[in-house]
Amino acid sequence: MGITVGRPDVEPDRPAHVAGVRRGNHKGFIKRQPGHRRNDRSTARRSTGINARHRNPVDRDMPNLSPA
Amino acid sequence: MTTRQVAPAEQRTLTDVAFDPITRIVGNLGIYTKIDFNAREVVECKSTSSIFRGYSVFMKGKDPRDSHFITSRICGICGDNHATCSVYAQNMAYGVKPPPLADWIINLGEAAEYMFDHTIFQDNMVFVDYCERMVKETNPGVWERAERTPAPRGDQHGHRTIGDIMRSYNPFEGATYKEALVMSRLTREMICLMEGRHVHPSTLYPGGVGTVATPQLFTDYLVRLTRTTDFIKRAVAMNDDVFDFFYEALPGYEEVGRRRTMLGCWGAFQDPEIVDYNYKNMNEWGNRMFVTPGIVVDNQLVTTDLVDINLGMRILLGSSYYEDWTGEETFVDKDPLGNPVDKRHPWNQTTLPAPQKRDLDGGNYSWVMSPRWFDKRTNDFLALDTGGGPIARLWATALAGKVDTPYVRSTGRSVRIDLPKTPSTPETHLEWTPPAFPNTIERNRARMYFVAYAAAMAFHFVDQALNEVRSGVTKTFQDFKVPKEAIGVGFHEAVRGVLSHHLVIRDGKIANYHPYPPTPWNASPRDFYGTPGPYEDAVQGCPIFEENGPENFKGIDIMRTVRSFDPCLPCGVHMYLGGGRTLTQSHSPTFGALAG
Repeated sequence: MGITVGRPDVEPDRPAHVAGVRRGNHKGFIKRQPGHRRNDRSTARRSTGINARHRNPVDRDMPNLSPA
Repeated sequence: MTTRQVAPAEQRTLTDVAFDPITRIVGNLGIYTKIDFNAREVVECKSTSSIFRGYSVFMKGKDPRDSHFITSRICGICGDNHATCSVYAQNMAYGVKPPPLADWIINLGEAAEYMFDHTIFQDNMVFVDYCERMVKETNPGVWERAERTPAPRGDQHGHRTIGDIMRSYNPFEGATYKEALVMSRLTREMICLMEGRHVHPSTLYPGGVGTVATPQLFTDYLVRLTRTTDFIKRAVAMNDDVFDFFYEALPGYEEVGRRRTMLGCWGAFQDPEIVDYNYKNMNEWGNRMFVTPGIVVDNQLVTTDLVDINLGMRILLGSSYYEDWTGEETFVDKDPLGNPVDKRHPWNQTTLPAPQKRDLDGGNYSWVMSPRWFDKRTNDFLALDTGGGPIARLWATALAGKVDTPYVRSTGRSVRIDLPKTPSTPETHLEWTPPAFPNTIERNRARMYFVAYAAAMAFHFVDQALNEVRSGVTKTFQDFKVPKEAIGVGFHEAVRGVLSHHLVIRDGKIANYHPYPPTPWNASPRDFYGTPGPYEDAVQGCPIFEENGPENFKGIDIMRTVRSFDPCLPCGVHMYLGGGRTLTQSHSPTFGALAG
């Protein structure tokens, strides 16, 4: 009687993180996020890897607002 | 001494009337009443839930970084409130302060959620109880009068009579009903812009958001916001007209759903300028929230301090299917400020389910526990309610006098909401003032005012977020480390009221996790002191205005009362009337197989 289920193949309290996989919250992860700067700003490299420098603002004083 | 002549319960002819299910959630809230049809009054009410969720049980041992994704699934309509609250609790536990833009983005998403959820509930659920078809069936006299009564605010909403407004609320065919559905699409799009997905956000994380902040993101939001605001301005005017008419057409209707003022609001919309998610500063940043947290008892503001609110929380048993946890582990004996934490506080709760048969006659009858707030002035355990959310939020914010933004201001006795000119409507100024006491109509009225509040706040948040982006600050995420041991708490407002998530981390895993959404507060059963929960309290003593007798009784006044608390989309109400027998108990099936 009841529902037939298979043998459980996971431990319920096993943490979701798998060792060796990069964690999004990892301290200093900014090194691996091109286009993001430490001064909280970003460049066109955030949006594209192709000729990104040519897509930055022509004037240094303009805010660098790359598309999504 | 009261002189009211009330026959003792045993001398009255009472009829058992059960409403089961009133969906909270997937149809598991039941309201069991005893009605005296001769005196036209509800004499007794018990609120029961036949569903057990078990989040506090299966969250144990999981990676805390998953908790907002998991707890978001608690609800199918306000999941993003849970995700946000969980993120707040995690931010505290990890000691991380997200960049300001991230908090503005969360505020924008949550403002859209309030607009979405309150509107769909009000216009597609609540107003079904006030629409032409329903009122014709339950109170034909009132409907005739509505047809003849001109709508005082007709110039704002375009309907000539109250009857016209009520006709527009007819389900599936009324103009307002249909327009509200279109609005729900727009507002959901706004949430998706900010939080990636609705209702289980994909871009909310502790430490910030994954939303890419561009000027277009905010202008896309703003376009939708202005269109929604057009609708909101008309909706507030229609609400006021209909509710004022009910008071006028049914003298004494203010007694329906009346309850002592005991309201709780845990605050919403963080101010990024001050919030650091540190427990030690919780009072300071809590008081700068754009909806002020607070507890209002007997129309007086008792506290706005989130630390007081947190420490006063007690989870009582008495009529619930659980064993007591007093012999179990104490996870947190002192908060980070050194204050003692009670054994009945959510941080120390251990959920021990004990399934059993429902016993409405002095035994256990619900899976909902009895959350109470300990009032140290009087040593009372107060059964706070949220009044469906908006009335408590507006009341606490109005009395606290702390919110001061270009579009919304608290005056210390009211809330002023200034909505700017939008495509098809002029600038509109609204003011919400606390009523003499909370009742069914006032809970419902506050709902649309709060939608206006959320819209006005959203204009402010868009301004602030665009200022950040225009200055080139596009950072939306702060990295962090998960500590081995930590505690955290998140305070937020789910759409229908107070929401808290209490988290204890040990060895990098969740050791204890307790979400307390609004419905456990509102739908709680009698605790071990015998204090009834808010639904029970509001329905007990409720006068019956329905013109139908026991044979074709719809219970509309009871339904309006329960729904005024917004018991999470009561879309499938079934009713079982116990055949007019005197004091006989009928066991109603949960899913209404016998409903007629």
